[in-house]
Amino acid sequence: MAFQTAREWLGIQQFPAATQTKLIELLGKLKQENVSTLTILVMGKGGMGKSSTVNSILGERVASVNAFQSEGLRPIMCSRTRAGFTLNIIDTPGIVEGGYINEQAVGIIKRFLLNKTIDVLLYVDRLDVYRMDTLDKQVVTAITDIFGKIIWRRSLIVLTHAQLSPPDGLNYDDFVARRSEALLNYVCLGGRISKKEFQKNRIPVVLVENSGRCRTNDGGEKILPNDIAWIPNLVEAIINVATGGGQSISVDQKLIEGPNPNNRGKLFIPLIIAFQYLIVKNIHRSINEDLKKEEKPLWELRDLGLAERKF
Amino acid sequence: MASSQRQLLSSTLYPAIPPRRRSPPSVALFSTHFDERKVSPSQISTSKEPGNWNRKKLLLLSSATAAASAAGGGFIFHLFSAASHGINGGSGGGSGWGSGGGGGGGGNGNGGGFWSRFFSPLSAHAEEEKQETGAGPEWDPHGLPANIVVQLSKLSGLKRYKISDVLFSDRRRGSTFSTSVDSLFEMVSLRSGGVYTKAQIQAELETLASCGMFEKVDIEGKTKPDGTLSLVVSFTESTWQSAESFRCINVGLLPQTKQPDMDVDMTDREKLAYYKSMERDYRKRIQRSRPCLLPLTVQKEVIEMMRNQGKVSARLLQKIRDRVQRWYQDEGYACAQVVNFGNLNTKEVVCEVVEGDITQLSIQFQDKLGNVCEGNTQLPVIRRELPKQLRTGHVFNIEAGKQALRNINSLALFSNIEVNPRPDEKNEGGIIVEIKLKELEQKSAEVSTEWSIVPGRQGRPTLASIQPGGTVTFEHRNIKGLNRSIVGSVTSSNLLNPQDDLSFKLEYVHPYIDGVTDPRNRTFRTSCFNSRKMSPVFTGGPGIEEVPPIWIDRVGFKANISEGFTRQSKFTYGLVVEEITTRDETSSICTHGARPLPSGGLSMDGPPTTLSGTGIDRMAFLQANITRDNTKFVNGTIVGQRNVFQLDQGLGIGSKHPLFNRHQLTLTRFIQLKPVEEGAGKPPPPVLVLHGHYGGCVGDLPSYDAFTLGGPYSVRGYNMGELGAARNILEVAAELRIPVRNSHVFAFVEHGNDLGSSKDLKGNPTEFFRRAGHGSSYGVGAKLGLVRMEYAVDHNSSTGAVFFRFGERF
Repeated sequence: MAFQTAREWLGIQQFPAATQTKLIELLGKLKQENVSTLTILVMGKGGMGKSSTVNSILGERVASVNAFQSEGLRPIMCSRTRAGFTLNIIDTPGIVEGGYINEQAVGIIKRFLLNKTIDVLLYVDRLDVYRMDTLDKQVVTAITDIFGKIIWRRSLIVLTHAQLSPPDGLNYDDFVARRSEALLNYVCLGGRISKKEFQKNRIPVVLVENSGRCRTNDGGEKILPNDIAWIPNLVEAIINVATGGGQSISVDQKLIEGPNPNNRGKLFIPLIIAFQYLIVKNIHRSINEDLKKEEKPLWELRDLGLAERKF
Repeated sequence: MASSQRQLLSSTLYPAIPPRRRSPPSVALFSTHFDERKVSPSQISTSKEPGNWNRKKLLLLSSATAAASAAGGGFIFHLFSAASHGINGGSGGGSGWGSGGGGGGGGNGNGGGFWSRFFSPLSAHAEEEKQETGAGPEWDPHGLPANIVVQLSKLSGLKRYKISDVLFSDRRRGSTFSTSVDSLFEMVSLRSGGVYTKAQIQAELETLASCGMFEKVDIEGKTKPDGTLSLVVSFTESTWQSAESFRCINVGLLPQTKQPDMDVDMTDREKLAYYKSMERDYRKRIQRSRPCLLPLTVQKEVIEMMRNQGKVSARLLQKIRDRVQRWYQDEGYACAQVVNFGNLNTKEVVCEVVEGDITQLSIQFQDKLGNVCEGNTQLPVIRRELPKQLRTGHVFNIEAGKQALRNINSLALFSNIEVNPRPDEKNEGGIIVEIKLKELEQKSAEVSTEWSIVPGRQGRPTLASIQPGGTVTFEHRNIKGLNRSIVGSVTSSNLLNPQDDLSFKLEYVHPYIDGVTDPRNRTFRTSCFNSRKMSPVFTGGPGIEEVPPIWIDRVGFKANISEGFTRQSKFTYGLVVEEITTRDETSSICTHGARPLPSGGLSMDGPPTTLSGTGIDRMAFLQANITRDNTKFVNGTIVGQRNVFQLDQGLGIGSKHPLFNRHQLTLTRFIQLKPVEEGAGKPPPPVLVLHGHYGGCVGDLPSYDAFTLGGPYSVRGYNMGELGAARNILEVAAELRIPVRNSHVFAFVEHGNDLGSSKDLKGNPTEFFRRAGHGSSYGVGAKLGLVRMEYAVDHNSSTGAVFFRFGERF
């Protein structure tokens, strides 16, 4: 997909005034950090609300959303500028197909990301899913395999469909905490992140509600059941991650293809051959021992004069 | 071809031992070498020369044991035994039976003949009698009153008497018994039920009297009411003073001592001097003889026999001879025989044995008609295959002959091989080993065609799918007589369109590169080849439907040197240059594997098939393989260990400069769990098989050289490559084999693991085709002839299936 020339971010004007103020404030903060471009990659399983989230952040309908079907396998990148600041959001197709990771989709995403720099990864999942399985782990592993473990220093977990009433009369905050805990656990497993590393750099969890029926507060801001206006909250979290340390990931050929296993260890071949020479020697020696030990029939021994009339 | 080959190991024995003059206190025994009673009469054909009791026996047995020991191909084991005795009558033959015989048999033409009869097979003899009486039951009644004793001389010379039974009466013991009770009476040719003339009975009596076994012997007739005669042989056995020790000496190749004839007119003193000189000569003879192979255990057994018996009697000597000869026969010394007992009437019985010393080894070539001809094969080629026990100076053993036969057969140069021991006429007691060889045609060409009907649409064969296939083979064997050969073959399964599927092979083999006389056994081989195989790397895992197959075509050149250490252990090293082309189902070159998508389409971005990425790779690499195999068969079950290490070392020559070190180590142990007695027909032991296989590669590794997991020779219960394809693999297996009847049942556990190295293979084919990368299986099975039937449970999906496979897993 060709680079679209970055358009003016018009969608920001559609946000309620309070949100707009907040966003501009946050962007200003970024400017102070000398950051003029922010690239956000959105990944996750299919049907989790990736495209809707992108639309919500930009305030525009950039990615077409269909309730029942995933859009093609093409990633989309939207670039918007506002006061000299460029925001790139890359929406990707779901990478799961038929209970397996779809390498083809992964491959397309990889190639799409070639020569781009990713500042923040949004890993999108739903809040209202109660069960986790190895598939989640596989997805996380697949992402880790593409970008390496360091991507998780630059990522946040987005839980969509946040407007729900928790089952069994659970407290909403409790429910969110437990759900995040479970998901983070899988992320740690799939991303091969040790507990210690995780404690040092916690992956933030942000709640999102993309539905048009989302409750709003007095200012017209979309709010969550816990009365937090989620769009500024999400953008703040993104900016915190972007400025919070870690390295942006620039995707190049090497990263996509991974290290070439064919080149590994080539230098050691002479050493290996030397070792193998010893193996061959050893086997040869045991053959010679076999030859010595070989049981000869009695008639042959008698012929050699070894019988001494004993047999 | 090998299947049409015929080999012969025959042991031909013409006059067993020519008659010789003997020192007086000695017994001459002629005997044939095979226990004929074991041979059914139908396999023996006898020929008789009437008047003279000479007899030739021809034993022709197809030996099952020989066939089993053959490496392959038809094996006929010929035992050829012809013995004719008494050529020169009893010029001394019968004279030896101690004092009793005294030389009474001297000059008696039948004396020697008697001996031959003595040891000739019963069955053969019986047959002969049948021939005589075959014309009809014509006999004359005796015409005398019943139940009277008639002297032999009183019988009528014109009548043919029917003998109703033959009784023996030992005068010393005073007992009477009928035939076939005592080994002694094998020598009596008269049989109950036979019809004889007076002259025949008289001749029988004479031979009995002259043989030296009896001090006194007489035959009387007893008339029976039905007109038949009952014969009573009354005798007194010859005996000598009891002996305490026994000695066995090898007198083979000893020059015959010439004895001065004893003059009838000698004075007593002269006689004494004569005996003394003979005694002295005999002592010298013993001194000059060589120690024999007979072990002390048998010697002790014989001494025991003598001690139990007390006096040395003819029967005892016969028993001793039988025991000694049996040992030699059992141990395979087919040419060994007891020729004489000496030193009778002293404390020590001396048993003279001719063991069958080889005096000459002759190799002959025969043309198609069996005539001796000049052979093309150089003699050192054959000589190096012969065990040294067949060389001059060694004692002939039939096992050495069999080994020679097997070794020569493995050269695959001869259509007929015979190994014959033959008495050496010039060198008494010596054996000439004759090897007769019929060479195969040097050049041969063969064209074979076949029609293969391949299922067309809906599984029905259609006319278009009936393809004529064929093979053209040509061979030039035994070039320069040094077993060098060129073999070429071209095979196509579709002769109408041979370019579709044409495989060829051209090989040149050059053995004995260190020289034909050098014991080092190195062979140089070079070949051009092509091959087409389906790659198990591009195989789907359990969750994936049909994966489009990838065919790996290899065309190349190979040159290697292989050194054989033992029959099974060898070291091979050489160079391989090859071009590898990967093709899809339509035979067009393809560069990446493909996988069907749930939508029905194909995902074409699978793992690359070649290193270069173009679908065609060229490479040169060194290959080495060392195999240590000390397995052997214990009652038909394999026991021992086998280690194989193989190395392919890339040289950086070829597409993308492939530099790699690909190695495999296979260790297999066949552990015998219970000691068993070895021998034909004995049950085989239970065996535990432990197997480990490690394969790894460092450097450039194209998909077609990756190690795959799963399959009948990797992890049973899975399809070929079903578990994955990886850079490093480890397979372990254990199998327990329990013999049942003449086959076995087994239980096994196997595991294969990619050691996490699937991702180190470009494109990760294991993951692309959704394979597990590791897996275990267990199951049970039974060996049904050549086929293995097994039920294997695939541990990844916990489902079992029954498989039928040919050949062995390990």
